[in-house]
Amino acid sequence: MNVRGLRVVVGGAGEIAAPGAPAPAGLLAELYEKHAAGVYGRCRYLLKDEAEAKDALQDVFVKVLGALPEFRAAASPTTWILRIATHHCLNLLRARRALWRDQLRMAQAGRRQETESPDRRELVRLLLALASEEAQEIAVLYFVDELTQAEIAQETGRSLPTVRKRLREFLAGAREALGVELQGGDL
Amino acid sequence: MNLDIGGPGPGCSSMRVRRLLAGELTGVEKERTEAHVASCRRCAAVQEELAAEREALRRDVPFPQFAAAVAEKLAHRPHRSFAARWAPLAAAAGLALVAGTLLVRRPAETDTVRSKGAASVQLFVRDQRGVHELAPGGRVGEGARLLLSLQPAGRKHAAALLVEPGETSVIYEGPALNGTLPQAFEWTGSGVATLLVVLSDTKVDAKSIRSAADAPAGADVLQVPLRR
Repeated sequence: MNVRGLRVVVGGAGEIAAPGAPAPAGLLAELYEKHAAGVYGRCRYLLKDEAEAKDALQDVFVKVLGALPEFRAAASPTTWILRIATHHCLNLLRARRALWRDQLRMAQAGRRQETESPDRRELVRLLLALASEEAQEIAVLYFVDELTQAEIAQETGRSLPTVRKRLREFLAGAREALGVELQGGDL
Repeated sequence: MNLDIGGPGPGCSSMRVRRLLAGELTGVEKERTEAHVASCRRCAAVQEELAAEREALRRDVPFPQFAAAVAEKLAHRPHRSFAARWAPLAAAAGLALVAGTLLVRRPAETDTVRSKGAASVQLFVRDQRGVHELAPGGRVGEGARLLLSLQPAGRKHAAALLVEPGETSVIYEGPALNGTLPQAFEWTGSGVATLLVVLSDTKVDAKSIRSAADAPAGADVLQVPLRR
């Protein structure tokens, strides 16, 4: 459209991009392609609710876009973004910890009648309800993401003994709750 | 009874498989992981899980829906500093911009124009200096692309007009978008002009507006002076 004094640039909004920046329209698409499936998977796993998981997925990417320098500086962007997702979902779960513990109690009651092994990931999710905030994050990194203790220490900035201690606390709480011996990884 | 609740195995790590597929591994670590994954049933199962994750994402949250929802959430985030607020929105909306000074002009209150809430506008410029917000009193260079961003503070309808001596051109008329307008524009005139933005609870007939006084009763009218 060309009116005197004015030229509308159809679709020109996308052309306003800072020099040196990656093609911005492609940035979100790239983040989606590389990381959204993992984040959505993590949100579905922890929240067990599709609508909540979709909402959390969007919230996580809002956080990522607000922290792009940290994201880009991360040694492993995949690990970094999944930690953000885990942290976000654990916060949501903590806000309704009573319900979370009810689910664990139901699983405990169900387990007494089961002969087959339970889904270990689901068991971990429920047992997280008993753990401290720090132990929750470390337990997810260990039992779900399967990072070694040394990798967790490096990733979280905690000492190796602290990581080991939190994992043992998690297992102790889990043993007490389930009344069975538990093992995991090299613990 | 002894239950195994998982954890990293010898050479096995779901995160390492993720990182491999994301192209984050290099050199020996990449070669070692590829060799391990090729012959590990546990890691093969992880790959199947990741494929299922991708399928679930495509099915439940296709990219256009995802991008729109993220942009919407960014637009409704509590306002913080300019840079913190706009840089991520720009990324999501297909923009990248450099922080500048907020530029808002409100007309004096009249019988037909009132100010409400925190409605505001920002004008971004792309010129030879790159992308920046138009500084108060700043000149608009020849060929500069301009993009208007609205913060309508709950207003439903919006109109944006370029008011020049003897000529008014409609830039936008429609819903009061929270964020950037879909089209950029060039000011091809010279001297001085005013970018007039009307935000209203009632529909705005942009063609009937020549100045702030023509805005619907109770509307917010914001003016950005342009000069060349």
